[in-house]
Amino acid sequence: MDVQAGPGLMAACYGGGALSSLLLARGSGRLAVGVGHVAACAGALVGLGLSLGVLLGEPGRTIIQPIPVLFPFARLSLSIDGLSAYFLLVISLVAIAAAVYGPAYLRALSPEARPARQAAQGFALNLFLGCMAFVCCAGDALTFLLCWEGMTLASYVLVVSDDRDGENARAGLLYMVMAHGGTALLLVAFLGLTERAGAFDFGALRATASGLDPPTRTMVFFLAFGGFATKAGVIPLHVWLPRAHPAAPSHISALMSGVMLKVAIYGILRFAFDLLAPGAGPLPSSWGWTVLFVGTTSAVLGVLYALQQHDLKRLLAFHSVENIGIILIGAGLAMILWRQEATSSALATVALTAALLHTANHAAFKGLLFLGAGSVLCRTHVRNMEELGGLARRMPSTAALFLLGAVAISALPPLNGFVSEWLTFQALLGGATRVQGPGGLIIVFAAAMLALTGGLAAACFAKAFGVTFLGRPRTPHAEHATEAPPSMIAAMAWLAALCVALGVAPGYAMRLLDAPTSALLGGAGSSAVVAARGPLVLSVALTPSGIGGTAMSMTMIAALLVALTAIAWVLRRGWRRGSRRTAPTWTCGMSPSARFDYTATAFAKPLRLVFAALYHPRRDVTHETSESPYIVRRIHYAGEIVDLAETHIYRRAARDISILSQTIRARSTGSIYGYIGFVLGALVVALLLVGVIYR
Amino acid sequence: MSADTVQSIIDDLGALLLFTMILIVAAGQIYRAIYAVAAQSLLIAIAGGVLAAATGNVDLWVIAAITLVVKATLLPWVLHWVVQRMNVRREIEPVIPIAGTLALSVLIVVVSFQVSASLGPVRQAITGNALPVGIALTLTGVLVMATRKTALTQMVGLFASENGIFFTAMAVSQGMPLIIEIGVILDVILAALVMTIMVLRVRSTVDADIADLDRLRG
Repeated sequence: MDVQAGPGLMAACYGGGALSSLLLARGSGRLAVGVGHVAACAGALVGLGLSLGVLLGEPGRTIIQPIPVLFPFARLSLSIDGLSAYFLLVISLVAIAAAVYGPAYLRALSPEARPARQAAQGFALNLFLGCMAFVCCAGDALTFLLCWEGMTLASYVLVVSDDRDGENARAGLLYMVMAHGGTALLLVAFLGLTERAGAFDFGALRATASGLDPPTRTMVFFLAFGGFATKAGVIPLHVWLPRAHPAAPSHISALMSGVMLKVAIYGILRFAFDLLAPGAGPLPSSWGWTVLFVGTTSAVLGVLYALQQHDLKRLLAFHSVENIGIILIGAGLAMILWRQEATSSALATVALTAALLHTANHAAFKGLLFLGAGSVLCRTHVRNMEELGGLARRMPSTAALFLLGAVAISALPPLNGFVSEWLTFQALLGGATRVQGPGGLIIVFAAAMLALTGGLAAACFAKAFGVTFLGRPRTPHAEHATEAPPSMIAAMAWLAALCVALGVAPGYAMRLLDAPTSALLGGAGSSAVVAARGPLVLSVALTPSGIGGTAMSMTMIAALLVALTAIAWVLRRGWRRGSRRTAPTWTCGMSPSARFDYTATAFAKPLRLVFAALYHPRRDVTHETSESPYIVRRIHYAGEIVDLAETHIYRRAARDISILSQTIRARSTGSIYGYIGFVLGALVVALLLVGVIYR
Repeated sequence: MSADTVQSIIDDLGALLLFTMILIVAAGQIYRAIYAVAAQSLLIAIAGGVLAAATGNVDLWVIAAITLVVKATLLPWVLHWVVQRMNVRREIEPVIPIAGTLALSVLIVVVSFQVSASLGPVRQAITGNALPVGIALTLTGVLVMATRKTALTQMVGLFASENGIFFTAMAVSQGMPLIIEIGVILDVILAALVMTIMVLRVRSTVDADIADLDRLRG
């Protein structure tokens, strides 16, 4: 089929799904959910085909399609180039999983949901996916902003759709406020360009931007960056994220964390390298360094806060902050190095490749992890890890798939997280030798922080997996858990397969990255720079300046690991033969109970002490004694950490605003003629000013 | 009509408008203020008619007619009716003494002429005196609203202020587009309606006036 028909077909699928869900609202809710998810799946498949068609088609091809006229003042259009297609691919891959996962999950979690609510979920899911897809395909500012806003509203509906309690409503409200603050910044950035261009389409904006003076260009960039960073959940704009993402149904969390944040990354890349890029020469240095700094901060702080979370989904949400940070490190480095001398440009391609690859990788494993957490949630109805435990025996497939996701997100070989973080390291270390002066040191520091992030992420997922799935069940909820329905397992397996494929054969992914990298940066695509020796061997060729490129074959690493595991297994079997005996765990004569297991709080304690300056941990321990103070019957422990951004920025701002309004209230007279008097005074002063100015 | 005639007529009307404004400010009883504002609206309507005849602008005829019907007849009648209905407190209760208000309004008139002079001649204006008169009417209307305690006299101030805006629009820029003028008139009617209802309601339920609203302060 022709690729040209793709966008229309995709819109038809998503739109049809949304409409039919609504039409079925009065009938069967289950049918509405089913139809909505089937349509979403179809739309995602069309999107997948469309994006692959563009990415693997003739290089440099851009599909441009006009949209039928909606507004008299602007002509809307879609334009799908390499970058759009790549993000469309990422969206579609996760959307397929979410659409397969959704119906069974919603049924298992709340079987007695009202039909209207279910229909709303089907409607909002389609709207959400469609808007995300078309944000990436937008060919003009108006389409972009409309879809962006639709994406926000649809995801808001989904966030508050899960359970009708106050917590979700508050999370949704915070999300709404933050998202609209970001959209306001975007609006200003876009209108600043469209007003100068006198048109909305990206081509005209590009032409206008190349004539902008540098300060204005930088201001527009930072407005746009602020808007996108709010959506991406970059620290310190992240406060909505750890609340809103866990509140949504789990497959929506997977979409929000795995994909929606990436749409913001798309926006940043589109603005920096395409719309606002100067006609020739490098980008202003402030852009890249800011993005690099913000990325590094988000990566480290994100994982540090994640470590201290005991709510499984909240922990995953904080990890999204971390991974967005890693992506931004790559993107920022690419901005710094782009269009410097020749070898630096190759390094910029490496950095951008790393960022884009991590975008896909994070979508795959974060989607997988959120779906895994959703399986746990729908079987136990508990999100707090301290109340789980021992699920590996009760939900073996879920546990295995969650473990795979955990390994991937901890950047361990042979899975996909390792590949993109390795590439980011390569780019950082290479960049450190290219950038003169203190900049080089900063890049090395960023590399060190990235290493710290990887280590902490591994610790965090050792905790998350261990406490949730290993040991003994701590509560009846966990004890009576059963395996998730097959369709949910299938959706997770699909994402797990992506993790393995992207990890074991990343050379093939490089070919998909050719189109976006050469569309953005110009010059050679990623596969020319990164995979020098065939699809299975990754190597970064930096030889011109005498620094040897590093090469690595993920396939070989995987084969080696499999072989080693097999050998160890065989050896163990041989060793153990004939001498196996089953006995209870020796616990100094006591009978083992769930209290013996590591708790999440205890596991994270050393790091809580090390990073106490960041966490400001607070703990309350109360002893409940019997008649004698020496016999303690019970000890209550409660501990919490604070989010520095929340206390130091948001709470402080809220306090200052309320103090200010109290002051104003104390000063106000409350008499209506007093207020009219103010109006009169203001009018007279304004008149006098006019008189002075015109004199 | 020659341009000179029109100019002198509008100048005279402007003087009369200012005079009625002084009457409104100086009125010690609410009826007088209402009659004064009705007279003022009548003068505005006449000004509209003169300008329509001079410029041949049909819209201005319509506006003059609407002003005559609504602002010179209907709204004063409503105000009159409300005062009779309430049947109390016919005296105006100023926040500051009437003499002080008069002094302030003189100040406003001086400032308006001063500022207009610094703005230079307005290109489309029929006469150089139209702009300062309009500004002075508008601001003095607001002054009346700010210095009267009862809602009804504040309404009188609002209408006077409206008249000032109309006069400015007609004499300086030969009228706003018809649709906007009609919209403004509707706004005024609506404001009168809401305020009337509120005044009657507040009085009949809690026996208080607008001035007592400051007791609600948090």
